[in-house]
Amino acid sequence: MADSPEARGGGEMRKRTFVITRFDPDKDQVPKTQTYEIPCRPEWKVLDALNFIKDEVDPTLSHRWSCRMAVCGSCGMNVNGEPKLTCKTSLADYGDTVEVAPLSNFPIIRDLVIEMDGFMDKFKAVKPWVIVAKEKAAEEGTYRQSPEQLAVFKQFSMCINCMLCYAACPVVAKEPDFLGPAAIALGHRYNMDSRDEGAAERNEVFRGEGTVFHCSYANECSEVCPKNVDPAAAINQAKLNAVIDWATSFVVKRGK
Amino acid sequence: MARFADPHAMQPSTPGRTRTAPPQLPDDFWSRPRMRTYLLFDATGIVYLLVGLVALRVAWALKSAEAWNALLTSFANPGYLLFHLIALVSAIFVGVRFFRLFPKAQPARIGPAKPPPRPVLHAMLYAAWIGITVVLLAILGGVWP
Amino acid sequence: MAEADVEVFRHDVIVVGGGAAGLRAAIAAVEADPKVSVAMVSKVYPMRSHTVSAEGGAAAYVPGSDDSLEKHLYDTIKGSDYLADQDCAEYFVEQATPELTRLEHWGCPWSRNDDGTVATRPFGGMTVPRTWYAADKVGFHMLHSLFQHSMRFERIVRYDEHFVTKLLVDDGACRGVVAIDIRTGSIRLFLGRSVILATGGAGKCFPFTTNGTIKTGDGMALAYRAGVGLKDMEFLQYHPTGLPGTGILITEASRGEGGYVLNAEGERFLVTRDYGVGQKAELGPRDMISRAEILEIEAGRGVKGPYGEHVLLDLRHLGEAKIMAKLPFVRELSRTYIGVDPVYEPIPIRPVVHYMMGGVDTDIRGATPIPGLYAAGETACVSMNGANRLGSNSLTECLVFGARAGVEAVAHAKSASDGNEARLLAEAKTEGARIDNLRGRKKGGEKIAQIRREMQLSMERGCGVYRRQESMQQTVAEIAPLKGRATDLVLEDSSKVFNTELLQALELVNMLDVAEAIAVAAVARKESRGAHACRDFPKRNDAEFLHHSMVFFAPAGPRLDKKSVMIGRFQPEERKY
Repeated sequence: MADSPEARGGGEMRKRTFVITRFDPDKDQVPKTQTYEIPCRPEWKVLDALNFIKDEVDPTLSHRWSCRMAVCGSCGMNVNGEPKLTCKTSLADYGDTVEVAPLSNFPIIRDLVIEMDGFMDKFKAVKPWVIVAKEKAAEEGTYRQSPEQLAVFKQFSMCINCMLCYAACPVVAKEPDFLGPAAIALGHRYNMDSRDEGAAERNEVFRGEGTVFHCSYANECSEVCPKNVDPAAAINQAKLNAVIDWATSFVVKRGK
Repeated sequence: MARFADPHAMQPSTPGRTRTAPPQLPDDFWSRPRMRTYLLFDATGIVYLLVGLVALRVAWALKSAEAWNALLTSFANPGYLLFHLIALVSAIFVGVRFFRLFPKAQPARIGPAKPPPRPVLHAMLYAAWIGITVVLLAILGGVWP
Repeated sequence: MAEADVEVFRHDVIVVGGGAAGLRAAIAAVEADPKVSVAMVSKVYPMRSHTVSAEGGAAAYVPGSDDSLEKHLYDTIKGSDYLADQDCAEYFVEQATPELTRLEHWGCPWSRNDDGTVATRPFGGMTVPRTWYAADKVGFHMLHSLFQHSMRFERIVRYDEHFVTKLLVDDGACRGVVAIDIRTGSIRLFLGRSVILATGGAGKCFPFTTNGTIKTGDGMALAYRAGVGLKDMEFLQYHPTGLPGTGILITEASRGEGGYVLNAEGERFLVTRDYGVGQKAELGPRDMISRAEILEIEAGRGVKGPYGEHVLLDLRHLGEAKIMAKLPFVRELSRTYIGVDPVYEPIPIRPVVHYMMGGVDTDIRGATPIPGLYAAGETACVSMNGANRLGSNSLTECLVFGARAGVEAVAHAKSASDGNEARLLAEAKTEGARIDNLRGRKKGGEKIAQIRREMQLSMERGCGVYRRQESMQQTVAEIAPLKGRATDLVLEDSSKVFNTELLQALELVNMLDVAEAIAVAAVARKESRGAHACRDFPKRNDAEFLHHSMVFFAPAGPRLDKKSVMIGRFQPEERKY
């Protein structure tokens, strides 16, 4: 928790029990759990506990992490059933027992490590790059973009690809084709960027197999997003845009 | 965590080169408070279906005075009263949740126009909803015009 | 001992590392030639690269402003304490604006002025504001823009989560790399006529660093063991505003937007006392400010905290509106990781290891002395930053020299010949067998975490902000036995699938090699210059030490050498601000 005395290093050491999902495809048929009891410093995040376990107790535990400052997006896991960034989640918010499991809705490669390539496929499918008819040369200088134009898509560009939203989304759990919150938010970010001219192409993707209309506005993605990207807003704005784009495509001729 | 999500959830187009465990969901995923609210929200679809069937029945009863009177008599039945109460609660529940989530689904701007700030938008939605309800009640109750 | 089964992949150019420099190199390579095939081999998915954590901005001359290329060049050279190669720095300032402009075309959401032009902010050591920024998450935006743009090129083939363990040099040229596929644990041979190393620095050799866990100097160690010299390794940048304990970076932009640095008495000591930064105060160069902070703490004016003594960064006078507009990430980091809201309280800060000016010896083309081997970004030492880097120069450096290395790598690949594939495959298989023996090596006596800890503490003692000959020599004496002990590691995890313990062991060996080079180079530089502040030799000594230090790998211990500095139009003078 922010601003807490624990975050400042106050408080006492405390023994906590961690129930952690383990899975080694060479040895295990199905994932199982393993329990560790370790002394924890008051200011620790869940990630600090995992690293302590790996360094001092059980080096066979595999997990992803890197920046430990909530910007690289590597360390997403289920903590007591909720998708969290473990580098940002304080142990002070939890009791004596903490369950750490891999992110929901993803195939599990090993222990707390999930298969990410499904996400990378959906990510690429929305064409997350600037599409223009004529590329601008560096000598011509930058595009002009006002702060208001930047504000339109800025929020949706803040996604760190941590995939907590995919773990939280009930539709991702049941509908494998669904593009998913982060991918749609990113596509919408480019659609709303004043420098981009590719909205028609992306809206076709949005109406395609992974359609944005799978979303039934559960809003769970925005609840768990650690960066306040608000993907639910992006998806539902994208729905409207996709429909308008479909309607206007009958009226306006499209060059390809 | 033992519940399974769809076994193909988040599966990559090119299969991974090691055996993976299937995607999982927490045991209590569907019973968590926010998820329960969401499931109820989606389940009100059944209520609309039934309301639609009732509306068909009402339309059918317009054919004669006897049929109409028979309809009104049956509506006094406690079962129907309960059903209509549930429909009313569903409509309010869905309306409130929908209004809460509505503002952020608005585009940031349409041409030069920007949507009004969130509280204003909420006020406009509720005003329209309550206003139309009052007007319809007045018309159907014979009070106005 | 069974021979490892090795899968072979053939590309023209192999880029090792997927951060700003690596991605820019890959893009430059495919743009240089429509037929070129580029492999991008990174131990993490590219958006996890540590570029993502950079916060402040990227420097380039803004056309139409009262800045000039000459001013940027002068600031950079002076900031480097005259150790930068001036031809490389000149190429850098010339290419800076086109590179940042290209990135803007590729979607990077630079913050804007009201008239739609790119906004700039003042930064340390810069005479004119020329730092382009994207709120306070510039590295994040740059990395994601580059990565997303790179996805449109089918000829950039990504091999995510592959850990390169060896550079293959055959017949005098670099011919490829051997890598572990982290997912399966299998060994893969990547054959390519050019290899570009862009793996970042090695901040994890130290206990307190802004760097993430992946910054273990892998590329530097690979080149070092292949016979390339490591240049200027003694120059480590201590960023003045890191959080105590975690070392998390609080961007220089917080000072650029007007923040004050205070001691325990609430005094703005950079203004009231003479620490050589003059009028620039909080916007002086990083090495001077870090030293000032340490001296304040040593004088007893530091604040005592649970992680040792520190000083304070005061942003309260900026007001909540400005902080939320320009420094929102700073507020979030401060609240989450040290429990302080900068709107109401000053942030505890101390110098932490942030960047390595030194690295793999390259020239202005990004080429190492081994034909076919290139390096760019923090991994490389061109040298453009000399003895001290100015803030916001390094992100632009990644783009400029990443692009150059990519273009040069393609040119080389066109004319180069292939190595002896049978020999290379045999080498890869031997390497594979070595890795397989290391994995799950239960009969060892040393724990990875223990040796890592000892190395980090030794480096902190010997190669801190202020150094003494005695402590540096002690560190050199401590590293050598640590290297010996690291050959006897115990590894518990024998699984092949996603074995991160094995990676930690390999990274530890890389870090020890890099740490040894740093310590050895530091002892040899008997002067104070830029970020290398030696208490036994407090003055800069141009007569004897105006050269780059070079460290070469040798079985008996690192071999030292020198390399001359290219002095252009700016003659070395006293570095005062």
